[in-house]
Formats: sequence, structure tokens, C-alpha cells
Amino acid sequence: MEQCIEKIRQARALLAAAMAACDTPQIEATLRNADRELHWALWNLGEPVSLHPELERSRTG
Amino acid sequence: MEATFWNRHTETMARAKLDALHLHRLQALCHFVYERSPFYRGKFDAARLKPGDIRTLEDFKRKLPITDKSEFIDAQLAAPPYGPTLAMPEALVAHHCETSGTTGKPLGIPYTMYDTERYGESWIYGMWALGIRPADTLYFAFGWGNFAGFWSCYWGARRLGCRVISGGGLDTKGHINAIMRMKPTVLISTPTFALRMAAVAAEMGVDVSKSSIKFTYHAGEPGPTALPAMRERIETAWGARAGEMLGIAEVDAFAPSCPVGDGVHVNEMNDFTWSMDPATGKEVPEGQIGENIITSYVNNAQPLLNYRSHDLVRRRGSCACGRTWTKLEGAVLGRTDFMVTVRGTNVYQTAVENLIGEMPEVSNSYELILTREEDNDAMTVKFEPKKTVSPERWPDLANHLSDKIHKALHVRLKCEAVPPETLPRYELKTKRIIDQRPKEFRRALDR
Repeated sequence: MEQCIEKIRQARALLAAAMAACDTPQIEATLRNADRELHWALWNLGEPVSLHPELERSRTG
Repeated sequence: MEATFWNRHTETMARAKLDALHLHRLQALCHFVYERSPFYRGKFDAARLKPGDIRTLEDFKRKLPITDKSEFIDAQLAAPPYGPTLAMPEALVAHHCETSGTTGKPLGIPYTMYDTERYGESWIYGMWALGIRPADTLYFAFGWGNFAGFWSCYWGARRLGCRVISGGGLDTKGHINAIMRMKPTVLISTPTFALRMAAVAAEMGVDVSKSSIKFTYHAGEPGPTALPAMRERIETAWGARAGEMLGIAEVDAFAPSCPVGDGVHVNEMNDFTWSMDPATGKEVPEGQIGENIITSYVNNAQPLLNYRSHDLVRRRGSCACGRTWTKLEGAVLGRTDFMVTVRGTNVYQTAVENLIGEMPEVSNSYELILTREEDNDAMTVKFEPKKTVSPERWPDLANHLSDKIHKALHVRLKCEAVPPETLPRYELKTKRIIDQRPKEFRRALDR
């Protein structure tokens, strides 16, 4: 399971980089949804992730 | 049994690890609400409490004030729609639901997009445990409105990948016709409406036990886990396996039925619960009956911490199914606000309902009429003999029911037969207790 968790964390880092470089609203929305699902996967593996990823995103615009 | 786990990793997680995770999440939640929710910041300040004071689970249970639905309703009424209870920017509220308002004014429930996904996920644990899979087709036999219970089931069905058929505003016969035509495999409804549909189908000459339905899944009122007689009637009528989701609209679908069939398991990824003596406010230990107090991690828009459910439960720490998630034996055993003391005996609605359910010549519709007689609370059970029972036999049935209640509950209640199909039918939130006592004779929890 540790390997799976590490891969998910890497995927989130890749998504964050893709979102930062994206200027197309549609694609940014799909990346945001993908990141939410990965956050949810970590949550349901019992990982100590934040409670409110959507709030963190709204703060950073 | 392996196939019944939606997430074996966490559903069987060791208690110490679960508790450590709860503490981490509760501490984060306390910091969040103190920063973002004026309602909860006021609660913390009134208790002279800071989020950093919550260092253990005991701190959380003992120090953080208990909250109740009426406080949220009052706060929303003062500044609609959500007032100080909203903890997220209003722009992030993606869906609005309301409670049914059966106990007074409805409570508005805001959800973020993520809240709806997580609430939906809560349903899947129970669906999966029952045997429902992505290839199944769910038929929703209810009007949608703003009722959170079945919206959240819909969110879950989408996440699982099932086909969804909405019964929308159809009447009961329309639901039967739609089921026979579309051939869904899962019926989603309240338990009493499932029985009502089966009865109407029989009148139409349709045997739903031979329909495409393989599973029935229920919420909204005591169902097949709390009421074994209800399970037997539903499973026989529909020729299907019946499951149940224990949820509270403003909280979460927080406890799916256990595959063993004798209780529900709290979803400990999404919710933290403990039992409280409603009279003293102190925690009651495992195995004893207490009021379920809930904290949800997944309602970001309107957080609920140490929230009174008014559900009386008995919790256990282990289960034959292998889940470590807290088990609530028999789901909800009664309601703090629906428990009535008749001549010194606590009478729970569900207990009477179970006994009525054991009588094959009687319908599942009934009313409990509460009155005040000679300085005592008194209860009359109104029930309906089936059409096939001649009126001459009604007094015998009444005596038989009264004897059953006396034997099981140790209290003698008046039982009165009324003509078949004269008691009200409900699609949602069935009202069984008709309280005709003067207000001054009602306890605080009954008002």
C-alpha cells in the first residue's frame, strides 16, 4: 500500500504543475477534479491529508 | 466475506490507528471551524476554549460543547439562508438541500462539490456490502425535492457507476409500471413505501417478488436492520435482499447496514461518533444504550461537531463481519424524542412496530396515540387489520396485540382496530406518534 500512496502523491504533484501552467478553463477544471479524486484516495487510505483542498485552491485563485 | 468490503484497508483498520486518525482529523476540524465558522467560533469562545486545547479524544468529547439542530435553525433564521453556520465561501456552495421539517422548520444544508462526492461515497460502502455492483440499475421511488437523503444516494450511485432511473413524480402505480418496463435491479425507497408499492402491485395483479429487483436499499426511517419483521416483509414481498443506510440529512449517510444483518457500521473515514447519556451529558460505555453524538469530517460548507442525533444506540467494537468500524446493534433502538414512558415503562416506537410486524393479518400502517390519563402518560395503538379479515375478528386481534405488547414490553397498551387503509400513508418521514398530551406534560425532549 505504501507504494500506491507514494504514486498518488507523485500524481498530485504532477497535476499541480500542470494546473499552474494551464490557461484553459476547461482543462484546468478537469485537472482540479482529478486532484480532488486523488486527495479523496489518500483520505480513504487513512493518510493525514488536509480537510479542505477546495478552500486551499480558492485561496490561491 | 472479502467481496463485501468496499475498502478493506480502512474498514478493518486497527482501533488504535483509527483513533489516531480521528484525533488528527478532529484537531484539524477544530482549527478550521474556529477560523471559518462564526457559529462554532462563538461556541469555542463561550466555553473559553481554543482549538489547541483539544489534545485527546476525551478532550474533544468533554470540552467541546454539544450542538443541536435547533441552534442551527435559529442561526439560519436570523440571517438566511445559512447565517453564521456557513464555513466556506458562498461561491463554493454547489448544492442546497433541506431537512424535511417534520420536527419544525427545515434546516438548510449547503454542500460544496467535494461534500457531495464524499456524501455520495458514504452510500457505496453499504451498497457494496449488500452485493450491488456497477452493472446494477437503481430505481429511485420518490419525489426528489430538496431531501438530502436520496440526493446523496444518487451521488453515490453515480460514483459507483450504476445506471440511475428516477421515478420522479410518479404515483405508486406509475412506479410499479416503470419497474416492470425498465427492469431495474435495485429499489431505492423508504422501507414503508417499498411495502406500500408491493401491496399496490398485488392489487394490480403484479407479483413484484418475480420482478427484476434483486436488492432493496432503504433510508429515511427505521428499516430492515432496526426492524427484523420489516426485513422479512420486504424481502418476501420483493424476493430481494434488503439493506439499509442510517443517515442524518445534515450530517452524512454515516452508517451502512452490516452484511451480518443485525446492525450498522459507522463510517469512520467520514465521521466520529460516541454515545452520551441524554440526561447527564456524560459518555456511556460500549454495550450500553446512549444517544449517538456525531462529528462529520465531510460537510465542509456547514460543519457539524459533537452534534446531537437524538438516536438511541448501543455500540460494539467488534463484529463477525470483520469490520473494526463501530457497530450500532439494531441500528437505531429508539429516539430520545420519541421515547415515551407509559406507567413507568419506556416504550419505543420501533419496539411496538416490530410486534405489529409479527402479525400476518395486520398491515404495517399504525399510529401510536399519546394522551394523558389520571396523571400518567397513556398510549393507544391504532392498527389496521387486512381486508381479508372480517370485522368480527378485529376485537380478537386487538386483544392479541395488547397481549403481545404486554409480554414483550411489560406494559399494557390499549389497542384499537380501524378499517383497512384508513390510516395515512407516507412516501417520506412516516409519522407514527400522534402526541395529544397537554404540552406541560411533555418532557423537554418530547416537545
